Amino acid sequence: MLLREKKDQESEIPTASMGDVAFLILIFFLTTTVFTKDKGLKMLLPEKTSTEERVVVVKENIVTIAINPSGEANVKAVGYNEFLSRGEFSKITEIVEEKLLERDTLLVVSLRTSKEAPYSSMVEALDQIKLARVTSEDGRELRANKISLIPTSEE
Amino acid sequence: MRKSIIRRADKKTDIPTASTADIAFLLILFFMVTTVFRATTLPIDYTLPKAESTERILMRRNVTYIFVDVNSKVYMDDNLIREDMVASRITPKVWENPDLITILNVDESVNYGTVDVILDQLKEAKAFRITFATERKT
Repeated sequence: MLLREKKDQESEIPTASMGDVAFLILIFFLTTTVFTKDKGLKMLLPEKTSTEERVVVVKENIVTIAINPSGEANVKAVGYNEFLSRGEFSKITEIVEEKLLERDTLLVVSLRTSKEAPYSSMVEALDQIKLARVTSEDGRELRANKISLIPTSEE
Repeated sequence: MRKSIIRRADKKTDIPTASTADIAFLLILFFMVTTVFRATTLPIDYTLPKAESTERILMRRNVTYIFVDVNSKVYMDDNLIREDMVASRITPKVWENPDLITILNVDESVNYGTVDVILDQLKEAKAFRITFATERKT
């Protein structure tokens, strides 16, 4: 009697705890997950050149932004010579956009930052340069792609 | 056969739970894939500058970090390093991965001179692709 009953007994792996195990692992990963928040301003550095090598750019194609040790900017271009205090950096975008329309892809923005200037000031100026976007007459989107970062010292 | 007839007689209502495991595993997979384990968290004190044109960096595998804290101290690979040691640290990384993107997490109050020293060394190490880490301005 006992023997026969055992014969037609079905063997099964209990799966009731599967959900529990899964949720346990789930909670582990939920708590350990760190979502990456890498964001910033992309730049491509130039090749290191010796001092003899110089790139000659015509004066008309350059917008020079000089940042002094107190973090204020002086924007110079043909027809412009503006002194901007820290709150007025949005003017840079306007000047760069106007020059972009005028000079197209030839435009070079030279960002000359004093070594004593705060980093935030330089980033702010760079941000404003990157914000400059205009549509040319033939429908292309123009941006200031040539940005050179130049350190200056007060001597 | 006989068994099933008996069952039907005292029928019970049940919420099917067979799929809970599947749902849970789906969520697990999602979090497993998105999880990034951080080996150590350095006590680096820095506030990133804010910028409107902040972009997201998507190439996670190609990324290396340089930190500069409020006191202009330079950190790389979980170590405090001298600022003129950046090149020697970056060079082997660039050899391994020429598409390396260096992310500069620099405190906003640091003098630009410090940043310039680092940039100069990155040029020397041929790590040309860089990003100035910023917070999005709201």
